[in-house]
Amino acid sequence: MEAPPVTVMPVTGGAINMMEYLLQGSVLDQALDSLLHRLRGLCDNIEPDTFADHELVYLLKGQQGQPFLLRARRSLAHPAAPWHLRYLGQPEVGDKSRHALVRNCVDVAASHSLPDFLNEMGFRMDHEFVAKGHVFRKGAMKVVVSKLSRVLVPGNTDNTEQLSLSSLVELSVLAPAGQDTMSEDMRSFAEQLKPLVHLEKIDPKKHT
Amino acid sequence: MQQREEKQLEAAVESLTSRVAHVKNSLQSFIYKLENEYERLTWPSVLDNFALLSGQLNTINKLLKNDKTPSFRNQVVIPLLLNPDRDEDLAKLTEQRVPVFSHEIVPDHLRTKPDPDVEEQEKHLSTEAVRIGPDAAQKQIQTLNKLCSSLLEKLNNPREDRESENAALRQNKPSFNPADTTALVAAVAFGKNLSKCRPPGPVAPGHPGQGPMMTGGPTLQQVTIGGASGHQGAIGGQGAQQTGQPGKMPSNIKTNIKSASASMHPYNR
Repeated sequence: MEAPPVTVMPVTGGAINMMEYLLQGSVLDQALDSLLHRLRGLCDNIEPDTFADHELVYLLKGQQGQPFLLRARRSLAHPAAPWHLRYLGQPEVGDKSRHALVRNCVDVAASHSLPDFLNEMGFRMDHEFVAKGHVFRKGAMKVVVSKLSRVLVPGNTDNTEQLSLSSLVELSVLAPAGQDTMSEDMRSFAEQLKPLVHLEKIDPKKHT
Repeated sequence: MQQREEKQLEAAVESLTSRVAHVKNSLQSFIYKLENEYERLTWPSVLDNFALLSGQLNTINKLLKNDKTPSFRNQVVIPLLLNPDRDEDLAKLTEQRVPVFSHEIVPDHLRTKPDPDVEEQEKHLSTEAVRIGPDAAQKQIQTLNKLCSSLLEKLNNPREDRESENAALRQNKPSFNPADTTALVAAVAFGKNLSKCRPPGPVAPGHPGQGPMMTGGPTLQQVTIGGASGHQGAIGGQGAQQTGQPGKMPSNIKTNIKSASASMHPYNR
């Protein structure tokens, strides 16, 4: 299971104001080792975590157009671990003064009956994938290097196929809204990974 | 004339003192960090500290070399009053390093010659130099030069190797592929190119997104679900692209809307 967020804010009055600051990039398989080596040097001196997760993306369609998306993750390495349910808001990428993509983010731990529960609520699974890789930390920053695989037979995570010859690299921070200084730290960290990886704020809408 | 020189000297001394105080402060904070925060200290911040120090030392050097700075070497300091008692003001000025301005310490603090032990060492070295003959000295110089040049060569060559290696790495072996980046980002964001688990029938969402449906029949879809946009609409567009049956889509959407509203119904009550 991908490590839970560093800070957990109490949910008060229904206002959940945690934002995820995100930079993304990728690294080719042949350069993966050098990247991991560099990350081990740059990040906090703790044993780096590896993970193997199965992510299922659920969709709920209301009457009013906008479908509602939830991401459920379970660890393949630790089947007994709780599921991880995540809501991600619309990404904000327009602000040039911010160096990272910002989006609303809600993380919840959930029991193993999560898929059934979501199904009962009317959610339908949209797609699924398997992500395997490494997690590093540096202070509040989290670096995830993961290899994505598509699931060939729905639900069967043993039968997968790699999506590409690269690993996805994501640098993210969870912070209360308005802490834009975070993105400065992230940018300077991303600078240190060049030219191995170029972490950028990528507007996913441009690549549909 | 003399007054102007005096003023210049005063100003120079003042700026020198403040610069030295800066260096002292940076050194203090750096040492403090090294001693107390070594667990959290990162290499970049250590480098920052070194850069700060070297910058400050550079400014002092520049100040001393400046034409406007009078030569401190030509100034003479004479002790006018010696006092064996403790002087609180002096102790405060020197941060408790020199509490007394007495006969014992003044010669050490105001001396213009090297420290006594340095002087001793120098004397020792010069006697040594005299003892060995000029021939032996020449030989030693040559060996030292040889050693130095071979060491320099060793230091320079690997760097060249490394640089050429790096350049080769940069030119021939890119460590990342922008196309892969966009593909991976699209995959985690919308499940692009990931297996769609949704059956293509009634559950398939059909939004007017960037899909081919937009150009086809913009009547029904736009009226019913025109509110869709952005991120989520893109998912719909993706779905529409995959089903790729423009003729059938409108009916799909109708059933889809109905089933969705039916499933939502219990929660609205």
